[in-house]
Amino acid sequence: MIRLEGQPLVKMVDIEKKFRAVQALNKVNLEIQPAEILGLLGDNGAGKSTLIKILAGVFPPDGGEIFFEGKKVNFSSPQDARTLGIETVHQALSLVDIMSIARNFFLGREPTRKIGFIHLLDRKKMNEECKRAVTGLGVRVRSTDEFVSILSGGERQAISIGRAMYFKVKLLILDEPLNALSVRETREVLRQIQKVRESGVSVVFITHNVYHVYPIAERFVMLDKGIKLGEVRKKDASAEDIIEIIATGRMLNK
Amino acid sequence: MTRQENPADLEIEEKLSNFTHLRRLPEFGVILAFIILFTIFSIFATQFLTLRNLTGILTIVSELGIMAIGVAFLMISGEFDLSVSSVYAISGFLFVTFANRYNSPLAFIITLIIALFIGFCNGIITIRTHIPSFITTLGMQLLLRGSLLAITGGESVSYKSDTIMPVLLTKFIGYGFRPSHIWFCLLTLIFSLLLTRTRYGNWVFATGGNKEVARAMGVKTTRVKMINFMLSALLASLSGCIVISRFNLANASFGIGMELEAIASAVIGGTLLTGGYGTIIGVFFGAMITGMMRTGLVMMGAPAYWYQAFVGAILIVAAIINLKLSRIEM
Repeated sequence: MIRLEGQPLVKMVDIEKKFRAVQALNKVNLEIQPAEILGLLGDNGAGKSTLIKILAGVFPPDGGEIFFEGKKVNFSSPQDARTLGIETVHQALSLVDIMSIARNFFLGREPTRKIGFIHLLDRKKMNEECKRAVTGLGVRVRSTDEFVSILSGGERQAISIGRAMYFKVKLLILDEPLNALSVRETREVLRQIQKVRESGVSVVFITHNVYHVYPIAERFVMLDKGIKLGEVRKKDASAEDIIEIIATGRMLNK
Repeated sequence: MTRQENPADLEIEEKLSNFTHLRRLPEFGVILAFIILFTIFSIFATQFLTLRNLTGILTIVSELGIMAIGVAFLMISGEFDLSVSSVYAISGFLFVTFANRYNSPLAFIITLIIALFIGFCNGIITIRTHIPSFITTLGMQLLLRGSLLAITGGESVSYKSDTIMPVLLTKFIGYGFRPSHIWFCLLTLIFSLLLTRTRYGNWVFATGGNKEVARAMGVKTTRVKMINFMLSALLASLSGCIVISRFNLANASFGIGMELEAIASAVIGGTLLTGGYGTIIGVFFGAMITGMMRTGLVMMGAPAYWYQAFVGAILIVAAIINLKLSRIEM
């Protein structure tokens, strides 16, 4: 199942980042294989978010290199990363509450149709495609004219994930996607993530709770205070082993 | 039990709880308020329902409303503009001065360009320094007004130039109607389309609704805000040119307090003070209500001072309704 040979989708080499005096990342290496689910784990302040924000183009690293599909990349904005197919789903930062589902779905990438010399929003297309994409993930949505604010956490995740899939994402970064979700919704979102992987997309799943990601990921990378502790594969470590690694800040000597 | 006796109430409640309904016509509330006030004035003020009075109201409403459109558009993207009243006054002065020296079309263009520059300054200061636009534009308002009073010494300047721009902007075209009425309706339509039917409109909503999300989704939020600051100043300036063409006179005290009337019109029209939501059609009726109050109350025999009091009361009620509505949505 796991393809370790061949070219990785993403290769981050010796990534460094400083915020004033704080060394947020210290020579971190990370590889993401095609169509795998990678769990990125660490306690609060371990540098998980910083690392993926660099990968998503939110800010540049102070040192190190990033390769995407074998080519060296320098992102100057999240837009650059998205153009290549890297999309982040963050619970608080993915949807505007007081906008409709369809408007959110296409935010920044709105389809238009030409009437004379003016480009107007293609609202019919927005509503139809949005509905189809979200239904495709097995989620029943109400009218796509509804405001996002009335949706549950799980429904929001579904719309964000559906949006990423619609725009042909190659790497989906999920930042704590299960926080504040009910048990039933958690299961639902996990199912969607697997569906995403089955369609050939790589997924980075960031969390501080190993039980969230253990059921679906094949490989786990642990960070601590800006340093990569190491990585393990599911067959080599139990969830408890991974907790132990994060808690002690050391790899296990087996 | 009592509910059943009153099926009409029940129906209204059902409609209120079913939000899809209301959102299809978010201007519902303000239009209803407009109709109620209009009816009251028509009944109690004898001269209210005459063409002469109605077009007179429309003249005032147009000048206020054009300004209010810009203010609301900027407010939806999450920023305030309190400097519009001073931009309005200074634009009148610039327009008269340049028109008297050159000609009115050139004066008009120069004035609008200067207004755009003022809007640009409001935007760049707010965005670069991260101080609230409330403060930036309040400062700009005082700075412009003070400079204008100091330079003119409070003296008025008369318009002594050609009639090209006055005819295009505000001279009577028959039955008491003026071109400014048409401009107001046209601008309402254009900005309404811009807001609801274009990509840019979607970015304006997103920028005001949640700047961080908008930026994460690739919207250039600072550019959106810059453009809207400039549009706000541009429309205030247009409004200033219109009013000066009507009076043939520019005075440094024109438009004092008008920025609050413009904001009130926007809020009465359903624009959220916190940004992210609003409609231009709503602002149109918000300005209508504000302008109608001014003449309607006087015609009903109330002293002119009551106008402010009533606008204030309506403003508070409107703001409460806006908030309640957005709470139901959440």
